Amino acid sequence: MSRKLPKYFFNFVCLLVYIFLLAPIVVVLLSSLTTTEYIVFPPEGLTLRWYTELIEHPEFMQSFTLSIIVALGTAIIATAIGTLASLAFVRRQFKGKTAIVQLVGSPLLIPSVVFGVALLQFYSWIGLAASPLALILGHIILTVPFVMRLVVASLVGFDRSIEQAALNLGAGPMKVFFQITLPIIKSGVIAGAIFAFITSFDDLTVALFIVSTDVVTLPVRIYTYMQYQYDPIITSVSSIMILFTVVLMLIIERVLGVGKVFSSKN
Amino acid sequence: MQAGIGTEHDLLLQQKKKNMNKKRLDTWLLLLPTLGIFIFFFLLPLFFLFMTSFKNFDASTGVGNEWTLQNYIKFMSDPFYLGVVWRTVKIALLTTLITIIISYPVAFQISRSKGRARNYLTLLVLSPLLISMVISWVILLSNNGVVNTTLLKMGWIDQPLTLLYTELSVVIGMVHVLFPYMVLSIMGSLEKIDPSVIRASQNLGASSFRTFFSILLPLTLPGVFAGSVMVFSLSVSSFVTPAILGGPQVKVMSYLTYEQVAVMLNWPYGGAIGFLLILIATITIIAYSKILARSEKGVAIQ
Repeated sequence: MSRKLPKYFFNFVCLLVYIFLLAPIVVVLLSSLTTTEYIVFPPEGLTLRWYTELIEHPEFMQSFTLSIIVALGTAIIATAIGTLASLAFVRRQFKGKTAIVQLVGSPLLIPSVVFGVALLQFYSWIGLAASPLALILGHIILTVPFVMRLVVASLVGFDRSIEQAALNLGAGPMKVFFQITLPIIKSGVIAGAIFAFITSFDDLTVALFIVSTDVVTLPVRIYTYMQYQYDPIITSVSSIMILFTVVLMLIIERVLGVGKVFSSKN
Repeated sequence: MQAGIGTEHDLLLQQKKKNMNKKRLDTWLLLLPTLGIFIFFFLLPLFFLFMTSFKNFDASTGVGNEWTLQNYIKFMSDPFYLGVVWRTVKIALLTTLITIIISYPVAFQISRSKGRARNYLTLLVLSPLLISMVISWVILLSNNGVVNTTLLKMGWIDQPLTLLYTELSVVIGMVHVLFPYMVLSIMGSLEKIDPSVIRASQNLGASSFRTFFSILLPLTLPGVFAGSVMVFSLSVSSFVTPAILGGPQVKVMSYLTYEQVAVMLNWPYGGAIGFLLILIATITIIAYSKILARSEKGVAIQ
């Protein structure tokens, strides 16, 4: 018995940590179902009223659409250019490689609030107004490092003799890329794209500086709404965001396995 | 005949050279889109902001025309601002420490588990990284929030505790968001340990505590260290968590940057604070890599 005691204690500690990790999600999801006019947990009564109420707040729907457009644009462009650059990084030797590797990795080290301020100043100088494009450009910088980390990991250990064989059999370089290379590194590319999408979709810091009154992403909308009001609408919007991300995470898990995606990191 | 071979040889060389040039060209074509966007929308803006931080403040345009060091001097000579630096560092240190303590058991448990369970635990542990849950903490910690109503109902307190907009709430939110980085880092070094080492220690009669302190902990120290650097520098520079859970009541450096630019419209001063923030984060990482180079057995920051 006494030998098992530390083990029970150990499992109990882990359980507490898991509760700590999950508590916020559970609280938001459940309290979005309350019938009261204020946020309360556990919810009093059950209703989907705060979700239907969202329809009467077209600004939330607009922001949701904008966030999706920006996140999609970011994911597509960041994945495309990140994959190309990863090919150069893994397969080619060139002058200034270390400097470029450091440059492309540095958005992870620069506080995003500083980047947001810098970008706002730059945009106002070159006269680029708040627009999906302005947001996408900022988010590309934030997400390319993630994309490249995942794609580079899937390119390392790639058997290039397959490509050579295809070339010798007369396939053009484009055909080799799309029919041989891409299918093999597919998992890294998809994981990179989903990561880029989620990062862009969740970003508050950089977007906070770039948005204008007509162009507001969902996180910024929730943030500004919270400054003035505090009602269950916040919980229903947050729940939608959470459910949306959970679905994407489950896709990663189904398609690739989280273990696989992150084992490449270590 | 000789000449023929010669030209053939030359031709081959020429072909090779052509291939080399072509290869060099398409290397740059591969890099061009990424490099272009990074130079134009990352390096240039940061460079201009850096220049701005050496300008004086002009009430009408925000940025004046004179060069000055005043912004940096003002920040470093004012006890209020130095207090903000201390608070920023203190919150980051606390966050790092708590993260280490709660990540270790979890990392150990996950590295021991297999199959499905392992996948779902990993997913759970990574969730704060992907799902932004700062707003949920507001609901949990506010005066009429979950924690206070529960404590009131149980009769443990008479009036609600002030939890939100304190350093405590910022640290809680920060630990939650940055937890995944520490767990991944510790898991990385736990997985490198040969399980037979642990079995040997147990067979030789060492208690679990002894095994932990003389085998497991020393071997995973590099992972703990790498995770700490990551958590510390991310915590120093994070904006969303302190802005939502601390607000103006708990000012940290990133919030000051935002406030100076967005509220006071003092671009040069906001820029200066921002670059001092970068400096603190960079010094941490450089100090880490110096120590790493000396000890020679650490793991690199991923």
